[in-house]
Amino acid sequence: MKKYLRITPEGTKDFLFAECAAMDDVCGRIEKVFADRGFKRVITPGIEFYDVFSLPCSGISQEDMFKMTDNKGRLMVARPDSTLPIARMVSSRLKNNVMPVRLYYKQAVYRNNPTLTGRRNEMMQMGVELIGTEGVRADLEVLTTAIQTLQSVATDFRIELGHAEVFDALSDELDISEDYKEKIRLSIEGKNYSALNNLLDKLSPCRAVSAIRSLPSLFGGEEVFEKAQAICADTKAAQALDYLHHIYSNLLSLGLGDKLIIDLGLVQRNDYYTGIVFTGYINGIGDAVLSGGRYDELLSEFDAPMGAAGFAIDTDAVTLKVLADQTVSYSDKPDVLVYAADGCEMKAIALVQQLCGEGKKTQFCVLPTIEETRRFAELRGIAEVKIVE
Amino acid sequence: MQPLRIALTKGRLEKTTIELLEKIGYNCDEVKNKGRRLILPVGNNDFEVVLAKAADVITYVEHGVCDLGVVGKDTILEHGSSFYELLDLGFGKCRFALATKKDTDFYSGYNTKTIATKYPNVTRAFFDDKNMDVRIIKIEGSVELAPLVGLSDGIVDIVETGSTLKANGLEVIEWVTDISARLIANTASLKLRKREIEELQKKLEAVTK
Repeated sequence: MKKYLRITPEGTKDFLFAECAAMDDVCGRIEKVFADRGFKRVITPGIEFYDVFSLPCSGISQEDMFKMTDNKGRLMVARPDSTLPIARMVSSRLKNNVMPVRLYYKQAVYRNNPTLTGRRNEMMQMGVELIGTEGVRADLEVLTTAIQTLQSVATDFRIELGHAEVFDALSDELDISEDYKEKIRLSIEGKNYSALNNLLDKLSPCRAVSAIRSLPSLFGGEEVFEKAQAICADTKAAQALDYLHHIYSNLLSLGLGDKLIIDLGLVQRNDYYTGIVFTGYINGIGDAVLSGGRYDELLSEFDAPMGAAGFAIDTDAVTLKVLADQTVSYSDKPDVLVYAADGCEMKAIALVQQLCGEGKKTQFCVLPTIEETRRFAELRGIAEVKIVE
Repeated sequence: MQPLRIALTKGRLEKTTIELLEKIGYNCDEVKNKGRRLILPVGNNDFEVVLAKAADVITYVEHGVCDLGVVGKDTILEHGSSFYELLDLGFGKCRFALATKKDTDFYSGYNTKTIATKYPNVTRAFFDDKNMDVRIIKIEGSVELAPLVGLSDGIVDIVETGSTLKANGLEVIEWVTDISARLIANTASLKLRKREIEELQKKLEAVTK
């Protein structure tokens, strides 16, 4: 039988030296933002019951999850997302806590992606959840934290903002099945104008139909609101638009200019979003790096109804970008190598500690002879070899 | 900033796309005299064209190494996952069809039907919608052969004129979906380079209508 003992599974990789340094740098910067804003870290288990993620609103299909069973035969999965476990945790462990709570996480998620697509099956993510309240203040807190997070790791980025209610309110006005609604939602998500038109042409024309038709093209700056208000006047979507406009006007004071985009065609795959939704992009990364929004209904699924909002950032993608840009300096080379003659080992180790204390990168040489020590120093390019005898 | 990069499907779609680009005023001489080069400048370095096989166009766009792509709907249906489909370019038109040997009643009986196809995902989705279990066999070459030699009950394949089917005693019993060339965009590119992409999209839209 063929043994796979020297390779890693597809979609996973080892992180070595500079890669870890870049990851630590990226995560450290983000962690500082989260901590400064008062978010406290939590860790949830790497494996969870399948049931946590099988909610219809989870947006994670079963073929995307790595599954296993426990010793009672119950179905388990390698955590494919962190928001659902946190909702589970808050609904039980923090049920009687003073609300709202601010949580952040830094942990990998696992997805069983199709093979040979080059996608990562293990992804490090960081994110925050602000749970136990709703409204403008909470939304602004989460959004400005997201923007600050992007700013901490990139200069050329975009953040786009939408509202889940816009599409929901408009599609509720149509007499269509959930399946059909989902097809329409997917075509808006993919900005697939021809598929969207085909779907809408089959419905009897009304205001909601023409409003939905224009959703994917409603993205840009302030001017979007004017166009959208004209289309959505007197519908429930109009309230959502007013709210979004209010949030947008507040964010303008950050002076982000073109970096802040409104996209009314932003309908997230995760059905649990109920209010604002947003996505972040960084120049040089071909996929969204940050995504989040308000999910006020999710906690009810765990019998603890309360408002909540949050976002996650794909720190692996940012790390790869930082490595490619070579903006983090990294060296694993010590300045000094200390060799101990037989019997002088402890004296040499003490010297290493002393030199390190003085700020010199110093290593105790573990090779047995002075010749080998000099050869090693030469191969690694270590400038100085000290001998203790 | 690096010019926009567009992946084109080699062959027939490439030719028509180049004609379109010329129509909207871009100089495509470099692409027409490409020799063996695979990355070519267009116009006054307004953008770069990359030539690739259909399925690879999607891969390059999805990973963001190309901002835009021109690819057939058939490939999108078979391989597609996450990107924006911006425009139906209206050329490269044909259809996916379910075909069987002439004068057979495909849907009769309770036995599980066997379908030969080059497009297993399209076939799977088509019969899933009908809640029908079928056995799908992937064929790499001339699919028409499969029902003739008794490998399958029918085929799902691209039909343009239908003459190959006719010559082999097969007939279309159901149309699956229409196909034409599409303009696709990487999701991040559309946000990060919105103005450039929208400008090109509008120009293309004007000449394809």
